[in-house]
Amino acid sequence: MRQSRADARAAYLFLLPFLVLLVVFFGYAAVRAVYFSFTDYDMFSRPEWVGLSNYRRLFEDALFLSALRNSVVYAVVVTTTQTFLALVMAAVLNQRIRGIGFFRSAFYMPSITSSVVITLIFLWMFQRRGVINYLIEAFQRYSPVLGAFLLLAVGLQLVQVLIERSRGLPAGWLDPALAVVSLLVAGAGTWLLNGIGVVYPREVPTFDFVWLQTTDAVPAGAPFWLQAPLPLVAIMIQNVFTTVPTFMLMYLAAMQDVPRSQYEAAALDGAGPVQQFFYVTIPALRPVTFLVLTLGTIGTLKMFDQVAVFGNAVPLRSMVTLAYFVYDRMFPGASLPQVGFAAAAALFLAALTLIVVLIQRRFVRSEAV
Amino acid sequence: MTTATLAAKAKAAGISEEAFRRWQARRRWSRAALVYAVMLFFGILLVGPLLFATVSSLKSDPLEYPPSLNIAQLDPRNWAAAARLGVAGARDRWFGGFAPGAVVPFEVRYFVPDGVEAAPPEVVVPRRRPGAGLGAVLRIDFAADYASVSDVRLVESQAGTVLDADGEAVPGTFLTYGFEITYEGEGPEVQRLPLDVTASPGVRFVGSTLAPTRMERRGRTASFDDVAPGVLGYVFHNYVRVFNEVRSPSTGQSLFLNWILNSFSYAFFRIVTSIAIATMAGYALARLRFRGRELIFILVLFAQMIPDQVLFISNYLVLRDGLIDFGGFKLSALWGQPGGLLNSMTGLVFISALQTATVFMMKQFFETLPREVEEAASIDGASHWQRFSRVVLPMARPALGAVVVLQFQGAWNEFFWSFVILTSPEQVKTLPIGLLSFRNTYGGIGDWGLILSGAVLSALPVIVLFFVFQRYFLEGVSFGGGKE
Amino acid sequence: MRKAIVTALLLALFAGTAWAQNIRIMGYGGNDPAIVVRLLEEVIGDELEAEGITLTYEPLEGDYNAALFNALSAGTAADLFYIPVETAPGIIATGKVLPLNGLVDVDPFIDSLVEAYTFDGQVYGIAKDFNSLAVVYNKDLFDEAGVAYPDENDTWETFADKLRAVSALDDDVYGACFQPAYDRFGAFALAAGWQPFDADGHTDLLDPAFVEAVEWYASLVQEGAAVLPADIGQGWTGGCLATDQVGVAFEGAWVLGFLRDEAPNLQYGATFMPIGPSGQRGNMLYTVAWGVNADSPNRDAAIRVLEALTSPEAQQWVLEQGLAIPSREALADNPFFDTGTPDAEANRVVFQGASDGNVAPFAFGTVGTAWMNPINDALVAVLSGQASVGDALANAQREMDTLLQR
Repeated sequence: MRQSRADARAAYLFLLPFLVLLVVFFGYAAVRAVYFSFTDYDMFSRPEWVGLSNYRRLFEDALFLSALRNSVVYAVVVTTTQTFLALVMAAVLNQRIRGIGFFRSAFYMPSITSSVVITLIFLWMFQRRGVINYLIEAFQRYSPVLGAFLLLAVGLQLVQVLIERSRGLPAGWLDPALAVVSLLVAGAGTWLLNGIGVVYPREVPTFDFVWLQTTDAVPAGAPFWLQAPLPLVAIMIQNVFTTVPTFMLMYLAAMQDVPRSQYEAAALDGAGPVQQFFYVTIPALRPVTFLVLTLGTIGTLKMFDQVAVFGNAVPLRSMVTLAYFVYDRMFPGASLPQVGFAAAAALFLAALTLIVVLIQRRFVRSEAV
Repeated sequence: MTTATLAAKAKAAGISEEAFRRWQARRRWSRAALVYAVMLFFGILLVGPLLFATVSSLKSDPLEYPPSLNIAQLDPRNWAAAARLGVAGARDRWFGGFAPGAVVPFEVRYFVPDGVEAAPPEVVVPRRRPGAGLGAVLRIDFAADYASVSDVRLVESQAGTVLDADGEAVPGTFLTYGFEITYEGEGPEVQRLPLDVTASPGVRFVGSTLAPTRMERRGRTASFDDVAPGVLGYVFHNYVRVFNEVRSPSTGQSLFLNWILNSFSYAFFRIVTSIAIATMAGYALARLRFRGRELIFILVLFAQMIPDQVLFISNYLVLRDGLIDFGGFKLSALWGQPGGLLNSMTGLVFISALQTATVFMMKQFFETLPREVEEAASIDGASHWQRFSRVVLPMARPALGAVVVLQFQGAWNEFFWSFVILTSPEQVKTLPIGLLSFRNTYGGIGDWGLILSGAVLSALPVIVLFFVFQRYFLEGVSFGGGKE
Repeated sequence: MRKAIVTALLLALFAGTAWAQNIRIMGYGGNDPAIVVRLLEEVIGDELEAEGITLTYEPLEGDYNAALFNALSAGTAADLFYIPVETAPGIIATGKVLPLNGLVDVDPFIDSLVEAYTFDGQVYGIAKDFNSLAVVYNKDLFDEAGVAYPDENDTWETFADKLRAVSALDDDVYGACFQPAYDRFGAFALAAGWQPFDADGHTDLLDPAFVEAVEWYASLVQEGAAVLPADIGQGWTGGCLATDQVGVAFEGAWVLGFLRDEAPNLQYGATFMPIGPSGQRGNMLYTVAWGVNADSPNRDAAIRVLEALTSPEAQQWVLEQGLAIPSREALADNPFFDTGTPDAEANRVVFQGASDGNVAPFAFGTVGTAWMNPINDALVAVLSGQASVGDALANAQREMDTLLQR
């Protein structure tokens, strides 16, 4: 028993710095946040107790409601998109081909740079006369050519597969060798058509869509709670760009742990590659999916940096999130700080995060974490 | 595919086994080719924006439309010209300048349509202060005070045509004018030699020794920020500006350099503190038995989920006032300055020391270590601390490597707390917040060249670190899960 | 003996350092650090040094107001700081600004500027300079269009005709750049005879004068005679002017420093705002004052610095550099205004514009800058063609009512 007492003493000593920090910056902070949420405090005079009025006022505040809507829509859309894309990309990258390591490293690049850097780059790209509008306009201009190419490629592929099948060879619809031939021939064909003038880029008006300096939301006719403001959409695109590589790596690591025997067993039962993916891979990835969803949800509800960097390029109402709302009420700029109000919003955010995580735990029952 | 199935399938297709094998091989090769193509496509999607931003950071005006990759700074002819001019200006091929005794030759080429009167262009060395805002605080020497421009003489005249906006050919003459800019008398070496060349109306600017920085007055004036730049001064103009123009009004030092140093020192301190705290805490949670273990687990889990902003109100006040505020007397008075730990590196490190994810990671790692070595050590009479420092810690090197790398990345990219704590003066900021300062000062006037260059420079250290220590990055991700 | 020398040296050092006081100043970033630093070096530095006072300027980049509140609550605010007129009530409500009655002589300064910073009979700030709006135009474009430059006799109709002539030059060229925000549009509403606040402190956005101004503003944009800055990739109308694509921008004297950097060869001219349907011009008064930190440990030195910064010599220098318009009445007749350079002309127009017509200060009472939001939203909606004038203004009025009620 002396051992366990010595153990306990040593444990507390080892844990001391961590515990002190945890108590001060987490425990004490949580308690004070609760306290402040029931007061009216502007940092220049003493806090005044006001009971539940902060919480009541929260739901009457237009900016808070916008922040709530933005945070929820943002969390839902970005989490699902990034999980889906990470899964797809991991599946594609899960090949035993030379040079895969290089691609994996290259794909991870967007995730390692700071959010400020990426946000600045995207802020520049989303300008009205910026790169993204230019690319969209180019796409619009070349759409006839692209359309012709796709039609030719699909048509050729169909024809080839049918020919091979009639010869008795077990060619799949997406047979790679035939696909390569289809693509190359379709390319040559489109070039020819362009040359003789049947298919050519068309005239389009300048696409100078306003992404940032606007209060528009999409979809246009939808009710307030189901809309996403355009600037928020821009931030969503940017965030997916940054986080998909990280989650893709997590999926990849998990995929490579799935034993080959399971795939072989499925193949013996007659499952094709697609069915193997759905019946072997995805179930095996359940714990990782849960992790990705949870981390994704927590991360998206926290979104702050992008709002701060976009700053006055976007009307605040169109991109404010709950996290930024808390900051904005603490340091409003044009008026005195509203600490109590901010604390109430902060606690609301904490509660929301906890509830969402608990719900996810329940629905994606897993053994991990 | 086993040989039996191979034979069966070949038979079903009515061809030889050999032919079937070749057919399969063809499929494998083309599948590989397609996979590479798809990877390349994803690669372009993911890395493309960063690369394009880097290339655009070299442009004088990254907001030009349509955006193109065909920029003057990447044209080798301009490099040669820049080197020659740099040598002529200050005998410095790389950074150029304008030194006493320099004679800088320059040529401009115009197209004069038939029927338009053409007088030689007016060449002036303007007295121009570089940049706006913070750069304007610099007390620099102006080239205009020492430069004199020779007479503009006609060097070459050649008939020709150009196409106008509708594609019609317009006949006229190509005129090339030459002149020299001389440094009169003695004086300091000036960094920049700006130039304005104004032509008469109706005349079109075709080219010059060095491409102009901007065209003004609806094409009449070619404005050059520096006509003796040197190769590096020309290609990396914006980068040089980032370091030289943005200076603190009080100390006169380059702010960008300050920010980089601040970020490095923050990263260093954060790595040291987080390793110290997390390894100890992780070891205790993994190995030692004590009451309250479960409770701490739950607390740590909670702490990871709650966003920074929820706890930020209290934590900000703690940093500002110290823990307790005895109605006027604040614990922060112990730190001897008003504002407590705000606007200081100490405050930032203090608040970043709470790294629950790292604690978790170390705990999971320690649990994987075999107990036998430790037990042997304890039988030999080692104390807890000795067991930890002499036995367990050395075994933890791979995990520590991941921690160092991830903490460096986290510290370098840290935004929220630096944003809140480090506000004034400019010198105390870390790089991400400094970049935000850039964006506020220069974004309003549209000087994106500086902003993009700053962004690229601040992304470089982490990218370099990534390529060198890839293993640790990727390990850390699969280990602890998720970004910091 | 050695001990005595060392002690003497130490004492001398201490005396030296104790004698020298460092006053910190907080203000805008952008161009301001340069102005203050040069002012210090060339005009007032010597006399302050003789009294043992040194100055450090700390620019607060980005959102100045937020950073100042931050600093005031943290106790890290400087001894002297800017008080912008639009957030003055909020800043003074913190109780951290020193009332200057009896400490500084406010007589020499322009009355309306002193009033803007007087609350409850106490003066809290001395305006360092002020600005109003002027029509800044690109001479080359008007020359190309063969049209006379805008001048002081222009009414809205004649002015609009000139804009149309310029925008007819090219697809990419526009007569004017219109900011869809109150901070520039307000001058036009005022020119139509509108007042921001009536006797009850209520704001009426459905006032026929306001509606007329919005319709005139919007019609020019819809015709293509005017363009929004965002439409040509700019953040403000000054930036539009620098692109050589617009003929006219409505800006104050601050645009001159910007043009000097970004478009040094632009041939510009300046004239008064056009005369509105009410027969008067409209304009807004922008000003920033120096305030003293009530908690400053160096109060006397700070006040001394305040006096030096707003002294006749300092303001004369600032005026001659073309950097700002002085707030001292006596400088209204300064020969600088008659030197005839484009700079001086523009400054003269701005100075006189502050007292010509229906001029209101750029301030919104205790509601702060949030007051502008409903108006800005309506302007953006109308000018980008997303809503009709009637709908947009009805919405804005509703929002404004809720805002003012709170």
